[in-house]
Parts: sequence; C-alpha cells; structure tokens
Amino acid sequence: MQRLSPSPEQEPLVRVEGLTIDFWSNDRWNNVVNDASFSLARGEALGLVGESGCGKTTTALSLLGFQRPGSRIRSGSIHFGGRDLARLSRRELQKVRGRRVSLVPQNPTTALSPGLRIGDQLVEAMSVHGVGSSGGERRRRVRELIAHVRLPDPERTAQKYPHQLSGGQQQRIVIAMALACEPELIVLDEPTTGLDVTTQAQILDLLRRLRAELGMAMVYVTHNLGVVAAVCDRVGVMYAGELVEDAPVRELFSHPRHPYTRGLIAAVPSIAAPHRSRDIVLRGLLKRNDLPKGCRFAPRCDFAEGACFEERQVLQPVGEAHEVACRRVDDVGRLTAERISASSYVPLAAAADDSLLDVADLSITYDRRRRFALASRERLVIVRDVTFDLRARETFSLVGESGSGKSTIVRTVGGLLRPLSGRLTFEGRDLAATVESRTKEVRREIQLVLQNPDASLNPRQRVHQIVGRPLELFFGLHGKDRRAGVEKALEDVQLDTAFASRYPDELSGGERQRIAIARALAAKPRLMLCDEILSALDVSVQTSIVELLRELQAEQGIAYLFISHDLAVVRSLSHRVGVLYLGELCEVGTAEEVYAPPYHPYTHMLLSAVPEIDGESVISPAVHSDPGVSSSRPASACPFADRCPWKVGPICDEVDPPWQARSDGHMLRCHIPLDELSRRAAESTVRVGSLSAGDGPAA
Amino acid sequence: MILRLIAQRLVLAVGTLLVVSVLVFFFTSVLPGDIAERVLGRESSAQQRQIFRQHLHLDDPVWKRYGVWIGDVARGDLGRSLVNNETVTATIGSSAKNTLFLSVFALVLYFPVTLILATLAALFKGKLPDSLISVVTLVGLSVPEFVLGTLLIFGFAVQLSVAPALSIVNPGDSLFTRLHATVLPAVTLMVAMAVYAIRMLRDNLIDVLDSEYVRMATLKGVPRWRVVARHALPNAVGPALNVTALNLTYLIGGVVVVESVFSYPGLGKMLVDSISVRDVPVVEATALLASAVYIIANLVADVFAMVLNPRLRTA
Amino acid sequence: MSVTAVDLPVAVRRSRLRRFLRRFPMSARLAALLLLAYILIALTGPLWAPYDPFQAGTGLPYSGASSSHLFGTDILGRDVFSRVVYGTRDVLYLALMSTFVATVIGGLIGLASGLVGGWVDELLMRLFETIISIPLLVLALLAIAAAGPKASGSALLLMGVVVLVYAPRIARMARSVAVDLVTRDFVTVARARGESVRSIVWRELTPNAAGVLLVEFGVRAGYAPILISSLGFLGFGARPPSPEWGLMISENRAALVTAPLTVLAPSAALAVLVISLNLVTDGIARALGRSAERTP
Repeated sequence: MQRLSPSPEQEPLVRVEGLTIDFWSNDRWNNVVNDASFSLARGEALGLVGESGCGKTTTALSLLGFQRPGSRIRSGSIHFGGRDLARLSRRELQKVRGRRVSLVPQNPTTALSPGLRIGDQLVEAMSVHGVGSSGGERRRRVRELIAHVRLPDPERTAQKYPHQLSGGQQQRIVIAMALACEPELIVLDEPTTGLDVTTQAQILDLLRRLRAELGMAMVYVTHNLGVVAAVCDRVGVMYAGELVEDAPVRELFSHPRHPYTRGLIAAVPSIAAPHRSRDIVLRGLLKRNDLPKGCRFAPRCDFAEGACFEERQVLQPVGEAHEVACRRVDDVGRLTAERISASSYVPLAAAADDSLLDVADLSITYDRRRRFALASRERLVIVRDVTFDLRARETFSLVGESGSGKSTIVRTVGGLLRPLSGRLTFEGRDLAATVESRTKEVRREIQLVLQNPDASLNPRQRVHQIVGRPLELFFGLHGKDRRAGVEKALEDVQLDTAFASRYPDELSGGERQRIAIARALAAKPRLMLCDEILSALDVSVQTSIVELLRELQAEQGIAYLFISHDLAVVRSLSHRVGVLYLGELCEVGTAEEVYAPPYHPYTHMLLSAVPEIDGESVISPAVHSDPGVSSSRPASACPFADRCPWKVGPICDEVDPPWQARSDGHMLRCHIPLDELSRRAAESTVRVGSLSAGDGPAA
Repeated sequence: MILRLIAQRLVLAVGTLLVVSVLVFFFTSVLPGDIAERVLGRESSAQQRQIFRQHLHLDDPVWKRYGVWIGDVARGDLGRSLVNNETVTATIGSSAKNTLFLSVFALVLYFPVTLILATLAALFKGKLPDSLISVVTLVGLSVPEFVLGTLLIFGFAVQLSVAPALSIVNPGDSLFTRLHATVLPAVTLMVAMAVYAIRMLRDNLIDVLDSEYVRMATLKGVPRWRVVARHALPNAVGPALNVTALNLTYLIGGVVVVESVFSYPGLGKMLVDSISVRDVPVVEATALLASAVYIIANLVADVFAMVLNPRLRTA
Repeated sequence: MSVTAVDLPVAVRRSRLRRFLRRFPMSARLAALLLLAYILIALTGPLWAPYDPFQAGTGLPYSGASSSHLFGTDILGRDVFSRVVYGTRDVLYLALMSTFVATVIGGLIGLASGLVGGWVDELLMRLFETIISIPLLVLALLAIAAAGPKASGSALLLMGVVVLVYAPRIARMARSVAVDLVTRDFVTVARARGESVRSIVWRELTPNAAGVLLVEFGVRAGYAPILISSLGFLGFGARPPSPEWGLMISENRAALVTAPLTVLAPSAALAVLVISLNLVTDGIARALGRSAERTP
C-alpha cells in the first residue's frame, strides 16, 4: 500500500489543532476530546483507533463540522482545505458536507431514509450540490456509482427501497452516496460493525480499490486493529480523549512505542498464534471520574512516575512521521526488554474424557404463525440435524455468522426453546426440552451467560441481590451464608467484595460481564452456556475475561459451550470447535485441527476473511466473489452450495454431503475429498498458518 | 401482502365492534328499574306491564335478547324509542346530523391549529415557542371542557355578545347562522382534542427529526428545509393521523359534555337525556354509534399508515 | 492477574436520590407545594371552614363576596367558600384512591400478561382494547347507568367507574413495558433459572416498571378530577347537596352573570388542582429521564 508522505511544501488537506470537545451529561460538562492535533495529506488514509469512549468518533465527525446536540468545542480548530470548520455557519457547512467531505456512518440501515428510493437518495446527494448538469446525467451517474460499489443490476437497485437490501448492500449504497460528489475526504465511522466477517472483508476490499482508483483521503474510525492494518496508511491511537501515538501503519504494529498502544496490540487475539504468552498486559480500567492532571494513562501504566501524573503529555516525534505522547518513551523500550516478563498466560486445562452433554440430531424450527389463517403455518428451519458432544471440563465452541443458528442451539440447550426433534443428553440422562420440565438440580448445573452486559443485569438490583439469587434458589442460603457465597463468587471473578452493594450502572462493561459470570458460578454449574459474551466488550477487556474463564475452568472444572463469531477469540479459548452454517454443522474437531488445513470450504472462507495485524492482508478470491448469504434457506442439500467457490457441481445441490473423518474426532461434511481440500488450501493465498515470524510485536 | 394486512385489520375492527356491542348490551340490559313501569307509568296494571314485557321480549334470556338486537342492528333496525315510540333511527337522526356538523366544524379548526403548533414546538424544541406551547397545552388539558365552555360563554356570549350562549339550531337555518351558533362549542371541542394532540404530535415529530436518517441527510449537505420536507414530514404523516384518531376519544367524550353546556341538540345531549329516562334502545344505539365511529376512525388511520409505509407496500 | 481497583466513592450511590431531586424542575416543585396545600385543606378543612357546607340560608342567595362569605353564597344561600373547601376532600380522595387502585390492578395484570405471552396475553389485550374502544366518558356513563338510581352518587360507584375506565389503559401500558423488558437478557436468565411467573414479575419486572407506572399513575390521577367533576356536572356523579365542584358549577350556571364567583371559585379550584397534578407528574417524568405520555 502506498503511503503518501506529507511533504512540507504541500499543504495538508486536514489540519486539526488543539481540538477540545465537551459533552453535557449528568448535569455537567464532561470532556470527550482533549487537545487533539493531527494532520492528513491529500489521498492519505488515517485510522483512528481506541477503545469505547476514547473520543475517536467525536473527533472524526468534527471533520464534517458535526456537533452533537449538547456538545461544545471548547477550543481548537479544524482546518479543512484552508477553512476552519469549527467557525463556519450552518449554511457554509452545508456546502462542504457531502461535497468535499462526506460520511459513511456506522449503521447503514438507519442512515437511509426509509420512504425514499435508493436512486432518489443518491441523486439527492448530487443535486443539492449542483453536481451534474441535468437530471438525466445524475441518474446515469447513479447507475455508475452503484456499479462502482459492485452491486448488481444498477437500474433495478436504484428503484428499490432501503429495506429491500441486505445490511452489506446497504453499506455499499451508503459508500456510493459518500462518493457521489467525488469528495476530497471520506470519514468512515466503524462502517463494518454489525456485518458478518465475510461481508466485512468485501467492504474493506472495496474501500481499498476505491482509494486506489479515486485517490481520496480517508479517516477510518475503528476499534479493530486488524481492519486498520488492512486499509490505512497511518494510525492515530486515542486514549481517554487524547491522541497518544501517531505513526505509519507498519511502523505502529512492528514498533509501538506508547505503553497503551503496546498493551492494546498485545491484547488482540491472533488466530495464528493463539496461545502466545503476553509480556505486556493492559491492566486496570479507565476511570473517567478520576483522571490525573497529567498523562491520562498514568493510573494504568507500568512505567508511570510521579511526574507523569502531573505533566500533560504532548505528541513528540520519535522517528520518521512517528509521534508519541509519553515522557518516558525512551525508557519504555529499554525497560520492557529488561523486565522479567510476567507471563499472563494461563494454559488451557486438560479436558476430561467423559461426555457431559450430548446433542444428537437436533433440529429446531420457528413456526411463523399467520394470524387468522387456518391453513399454512410457515415453518422456518433454523437448525438441522446438529450432532456434537461436549466433555466435562472442556470448552466446545460453535462458530458461525449471522443466521447460523448458534444462539438458537444454546437457548435450546438452556431449555428456553423447544426443538422440533433430536435428543439432548446431560450427564447420561435425558435432558428435558423446557426449563419447566427440568429438575432443579439440572437447572442448577447448566447456567447461562449472555451477550450484552447492559441488558443481562437487572438495573434495579444491587450486585449482591443479582449474584445471591441463585444461592437462594438452588441452595436455600439466606442472610450471612448468602452473603458469604456472594463474596466468594465475586472473588472468583476477581472483583473486590465491595462491589456487592453496587448497582450495575455504577460498573463498567467488563465488570458487569464478570458479575454475570459470578451469577452463573454461584450455582456451581458443571456447564456454562456462553452466548457471545465477549462481543460487546473492548479488546483488552475481552482478553482478561478469556483468561478468567480459563482459570475458572482449571480450578472448578466447568465446561463451556461457547458461542461466538470471533474466530480469534474462539481459537484462544477452545478445546474443540464446531463450524455452523445456516443451521448445519460443516466441520467439527479440535481447535488445532479446524484451524489448519484441510478446511471445509466455509471454514476456509471464514478464516481468510479475518483481517489480522501481521502479514500481508490479501483477501482471498473466494471471499471477494462471494455473493453473500441469501435471506431464505436454500433448497440445496449442502447449505453452502450457492456460495461455495469450490462447488463441484449439481451433486452439491442434490445430494447431502457425507461426513468425512480425517482423524478420530475431526470431521468435515463435503463432497470434495479430503486431499483435494488440502491441496486447495495450500494453493490459496490464505495467510492463516503461514505467518512469517514472531509470536507478537517485538518489544 | 399489504392487502392481507388490511384485511386482518378490518376483521379485527369488526370483531372489536362486535364485542363492544356485547358490552354495551350487557350494561344496558342490566339497567335496573322496571322498564315497563317507567314507560307505562305507575298507574299501569301488572297485566299491562306483562303484555308490554312480552312484546319487547324482556323476559327472554340475555343472550337471546342480544342475538335479536344485534341481528336487527345489522339490518339497520335500531328499535323503537321507549319514550316517544318513534324508530330510534328517526329519533337520533337529526341529532346525529347536528353532532356531525359540530364535530366537523371542530375538526376543521383542529387540524391547522394542531399541525402548526406541533411543528413549531418540534422545530424549536427546547426554545421559547416550545416552552410556551407546552405551558398553554398543559393548562388547556387541565381545564375540563365544561369549565372552558362555561368560561367561553361568560367571555364571548355574556360580556362581548359576539356569540350565543345557547347553541340552538333549527333545521332551516342557513350555514352562516349555524356556524355562528356553534362556534363556541366547536372551539371548546377543538381545544379539548388539540391540547393532547399537539403534545403527542410534537413528540412524534421530534423523534422523526432526531432520527439517524435525518441526521445523515444533513451530513450529506441537504439544506434544512429540504431535510424537513423530503425526509422528515413524509414520515410524520402516519403518526399525525394516528394521533388524531386516538384523540377522537376526547372529541366524542367532549361532545357529550359540551352539548350539555351549550344545550346543543346533538347526540351527546341525547345520550345524557336517554340515560336519565332509561330509554334503553336509544342508549344502546348511541353508545354503539359512538364506539363505531372511534373504531372506524382508528381503522382508517391504521390503514393509511400501512399504505404510507414503504416496507409494507413493497414486501 | 490484575485485580480491578475498587475506589468508587460512596457518594456515587447516594447521589441517585440527589440527582433525582436536582432534576425536578422548579415549576414542579411549586406545584408540589400547591398540592400539599390542597392535601392540607382536605385534611383539616372541616376544622376551620367558616360554615357548614350543607346549611342553607347562611346568607342571602347569590350575594357576592363579602367579609363573612369569601366567595359569596350560592342559590340556596350556602357559603361557597366552605363548599369549595369541603369539595376538596371528596375530589382528592376519590381521584387519588381510585387511580391508585386502577394502577395496582392494571399494572400487575399488564405486567403478567406481557410476561406470559401466548393466548392469555392475546385474549387479555383484546379484552382491554375493546373496553378502551368505547370512548371514555361514554363508558363511564354506561357503567353508572347500569348501576341504577339507588347507587347513584355513591363514592364507591364513582371509584368503580374510574377503575373500570383506567385499569385497561394502565394494563396496556404495563404490558408494553413488560414485553420490552422480557426481551432483555436478565429476564431470559431468570427464566433459564426456572423462576416462576410470580417471582419474575415481582423481582425482575416490577422494579423496572415502577418508573413508568409512577408516571402513568400521575397522568391518570391528573385526569381523574376532570372525569369525576364532568360526571358531577352532567348529573351522574355526586348528588346534591354534595359540595362536589362539578355539581356546584352545574347548579349555579344560570347565575353566571349575576354571581360569577359561584361558578368561578370551584372552576379555579379544580383547574389549579389539575394543573398542579400535571406539573408534578411532568416533573417526576423529567427527573426520571422520561416524558409523560398522555395516551388516551
């Protein structure tokens, strides 16, 4: 990827200086962006990364002159093409927005007007700026744009309403809208959040091509470091509203200098090196009420000294085009090399042999009842003939994208959904379909932890009530005994017992998720069902929770049925893995086996779509030409047939693919013979398993 | 797809109306007091009353009486008034026309007032126009219609003498005379509805104005007026109709009170009078009619909202 | 392994109540004081009201305001001021009590219905929607008429009517809250634990619905005096010689020109009471971070 170095003579396209923004909430002004300064050359792509609440979105949106109601620019300037956006009137801003700088928002579904056709919205993007000499020319340009973003049949697409397109298609339209007036700068606010990893890969590829063709500058906001590596020239790392490091992409990932950046990079799980020991750990939490006058990262920094808390850190150059805001930046490199690496690696506990949960031929349907219709009940098959087993003390993960049925399976195991057919066996005995028909013992032994930390705790209960309820319900504990049980559970999840009297809204996302785990632990379960429990958390928090889970498994011998769409996390946590597609299992095996060739075609597509930090990210042709998930269940025998790049022929549509066993326990379901699959894997340009060197960023 | 939805909605409305008719019948059939005695007078003999009761099938089981009644209603036969022995249809006919006139007058006043004030409040959210409208509507919904009507009489009829205190209308009156006679009750009714509708519509409009796609249009560089006109307003029509249909309950209730205050010969006054004299058929018919109007108005508003929703139109 | 730091000060917790009070707007605070005044008048009125509200001929009929009769006398020579004071008791008690009962009944039924779902929920909601389809006042009149002449004017009947009219509306609101809450994960987890319906409604739902129900209570309580006095005005509510404000207005309407105070005094009392109730409700809603929806 070419990096355009901003030469001193050439005026940068964007120059932000000392930008400070506050939000009004909780009856006072809270600082969100503090003294941010950076510049962007023409045609350059800058990534703004950081965890939730770091101010990256606010900073990026200010490049459009956007001020959220209830916010103020306390100081600073945003120079775009020579004018300060912070000082422009609304009318002048209106001329700039969409024309010279445009936005690709996070959620394309809500960004498109539901009542207007796609074509009309695209035309509007041009007509309000006087682009295009006539209506006819604009419509022609609209068709061009739609083709440019690789959507089929531009004429028909332009006639559609937004709700008739899929999420990925909507995102492409929004990108087309942003390009309509050929702006000099595009701001992208986490545009691939909520999209499947394969769709994300396609969007990233599209963005790269567009930049190569059109040469516009880009500011890309994301929390995903892999995405940044795939798309950007330069990276700005933000923490608590401040820019702490600013460097070219390769440089940042190979030589991160700021302690936060180092911790952040180290926290990203890698598919290729899932169990590397981490020398660098991001400890503690961001406490917004308690920020020091000086460096905001100091409370969590391993290298902080007294002066760090007092003096404000500003970006200083440490290398070519590389700036860091840390007074101890030279020491950091030296000291890390000298330090005894406090390895935080917790090895995966050995699983037992006896089977704990047996799922046999599970099929789950959703009956869509039609009101007042006496006849047809539409039956949607969500899960079909899924069979797997889970052993004691083991982590078995189900991976898949949206629509794969993984959540549905978990809820069925949890007794919340009745399956159409199939048998569930727990500890050798039949597992009743619904919670109501299960014994209290069984209910106790299977516990559920869900995705959203905001929603999984009752906001009106204190922690000791939340965690104490299972103790009351399953063990009949009250009073002092209950209190003791709560404290033990809190200790197990490494939270101070003082948390017991808090309300959930006084806790951070990671802390809440720990409470949810503590609640499950309090019942002393043998099996914990984890439904995407990490997806809503920041990367560094994810890693600490993963380690917590591993520890608990080792200490208490709990088995996990772990659901996720994040392949890297699954790799780092699981003994065995099952890959689901549209409700059917494609591949089952140990984590090592599944993540290494031979791959089921879908597994292969998934793995090649994940952007990783290291190595050249080249998107495999399979992902590139993937038409995406069709909304209805295909009529074909192999569910993946209509997307499969290695499809053999009609046999895939008509005959159920057979299970092929490569070893005891590793099975694939495909018509293509195993050695053929191995060959294809080898010749594809997938990086997974072909990492160059090193287990992580060098110190 | 949308036809099926509309059909479902229609069936639902009819079903609701049927159950309402059961409820109305239940209430009125429970009306204590011997109807026969009331109608025939105290001096009537037991035998006369017995004949009367048999004639009206008053001794039949409730469900049978309901069946007969609803069957008649379906055929358009609303029975006969117990007071003047005319058909109910004739009895309430002219009253219904008067109430219709009054209601339409009130609605004609209501629409522009509500739309303009709600839009102003939404566009200037948090600023002076919004606060002012908020205060005025709050006071307005805190004052009962009969108080407002009485005050209006005091102000405009008594002190200023620009409008009559009693809204008597006669069949032969000209349009202008009618309008002049009914202006005060119409204004009262308008206020009764508008104070709620303005608040609800304002909230709906703010939701639309704050929505992501409106924000996106602004960030696309679309000028404010066009954002409001092309992106916001079309999505506000449905809610506006919905709000109006819901608040018709205040119009209907208001009609009852306001017609009493102004002695206007409409359905509301008729309902009150017929309850007092236990004229059961008239009570049943009027109550059923009032509910039917409400149900149908909401049905129409729902169907409109469905038709305007592109998701439903195209699926 | 890192142990997360602990140091959130206690002040964070106590500030919940303080935050609520701070957000309570000034207008609502004044209105609350007014309400308090009404309550005091209701409670202590009989002790200091100058005349017996039922005693006729305490002065010449329709005499205007004077030092002995603050608001003058009505058609029967009764002191208007005392009648207004006594009327406060009736209206406050009736309005608040019946709305409270309606909120409890409607709230619990609505929450349970939303939680349970299925045909029970469908059935209940259809039933409630049907009752709501009968315009408010018409239903009230029907119910009063059905009760018969002997029961007319009784406080119990009026309370029953208010409960009949309000409970379905409150149930509908509570149900939509429950339906929304049920999708939240903490309810799913409770169901997976095997908690009973009663336990979930009580432990999980009610505390989270309390805010909404409180505001709903306020909204309905604000309309209740209007409903009650409207019925009184029409002659279907309290019966003479009760000092009910709607009845008073109806009785003295004819003398609007000659003795306006006989109509204006109870009107003002009623209007100020309802405005205060509505302002307090809006204030509570704002302090809780919601808006007070006045859905009919």
